[in-house]
Amino acid sequence: MARGFGDLEAVVMDRLWDRDGATTVREIFEDMLREREIAYTTVMSTMDNLHHKGWLSRERDGKAYLYWPTMTREQHGAALMREALDAGGQSDRVLAHFLDQISDDESKALRRVLRRLGSKRARSGKGAR
Amino acid sequence: MSIAICLLLYAASVCVVAPRLLPPLTSRGSAPLAAVAVWLIVLVSVLASWAAAAGSFIAYVALTWTRPDPPAMGACFAALRSAAAGQHGVRTQIGLWLMAMVVGGVTVALAARIGRSLLRARASSRRHSRSAHIIGRRVAGVDGLVLDAPQKMAYCLGGRPTTIVITTAAIATLEPPHIDAVLAHERAHLAGRHHLLLAATRALAASLPRVRLFTVAETEIAGLLEMCADDTAARRHGAAALLAAILALACPDPIPSAALGANTVGVCARVTRLTDPDTAAARIRARFLLAAVTVAIVFGPLVVWAAVHSLSPFGLTPCGPF
Repeated sequence: MARGFGDLEAVVMDRLWDRDGATTVREIFEDMLREREIAYTTVMSTMDNLHHKGWLSRERDGKAYLYWPTMTREQHGAALMREALDAGGQSDRVLAHFLDQISDDESKALRRVLRRLGSKRARSGKGAR
Repeated sequence: MSIAICLLLYAASVCVVAPRLLPPLTSRGSAPLAAVAVWLIVLVSVLASWAAAAGSFIAYVALTWTRPDPPAMGACFAALRSAAAGQHGVRTQIGLWLMAMVVGGVTVALAARIGRSLLRARASSRRHSRSAHIIGRRVAGVDGLVLDAPQKMAYCLGGRPTTIVITTAAIATLEPPHIDAVLAHERAHLAGRHHLLLAATRALAASLPRVRLFTVAETEIAGLLEMCADDTAARRHGAAALLAAILALACPDPIPSAALGANTVGVCARVTRLTDPDTAAARIRARFLLAAVTVAIVFGPLVVWAAVHSLSPFGLTPCGPF
């Protein structure tokens, strides 16, 4: 999987989603420092970006900001799924689904195809290649 | 002028004939890659004819304006030139000029519409992709982003970075070899740059929904690209694994039709060709037919043009009204 510039945002969001309530940049920084070499300012600017992109809310607490996720991971996931499902239709997004969600009619047609193939194979007396 | 008319007639006949003639040849997926190529050739030849017709018409009107007496090229040219140069009255002249402006305007507007649609698609894919990279989890052994969701889904997005998303529900349904087959299918889409073709055909169909050729081409090409990706995945992981994955993801809980987009890619056709693959002879026949159709569509107008030219010395010009 390609890992790039967005990767750090993903790591920071992971940590924020794992915690309950508001967190300072310092806490996240110290948390991350245990696993990788990273500068405090990098974490700070990443969280600032995430705030501007709408992923995090923040509130001033003395000298520092307290950050917390605007939505849970599940809520974001549900929104993303809605987008992805919609993309099969008139949406602008270009995604290639492994399988378009199929309707009842198509599901019936599919079962018919399978039955037909099954009986054909039984008649010819051997399996498919 | 006669060139513009011939090009328009050609484009119109392709628009009528191709969406009826091609689907029966291509939708079985005997040679999906060749079929995609044929569809693209047809689309490009129609668009190019339109652009060339508009260009030659505008150029003609402009030329007759600046050069009142260009070398004579035929009866109809002379007639039209005299009309454009005002010998048929100012009204005809103004009419021609207005027509040229309308043709130019429509061409530019159409190009802008398609361009906007492409840009919008790119921006929203990118947004979706970035969100997926933040929300999705990296799971060992799964070469894709895993999303917690109750829908059994897998999809990919082009652009940078490329993204493959698979839901936890899909992973729970599939056995590990089947997951590999699904991911190989998605990787084949990305490696083949299928998203670019999809974006182009979608923009075309969305910009000109009334032209049946474009809407049919969009659906057909989307289906054929699925088959291309199926073939790549089946070569790597076996048709059986891929088929099992399709059936596991397709069968039990279909989503109501109302929630779906207009174009659902034929699952049945995909399943049929995986379980009951074509013989080599059938594949060769399909390729031969496709090649014949392509030659007819691309070289047909050249033959017509040559015929018209060989007739014109005998006084048969193609534009009688003038």
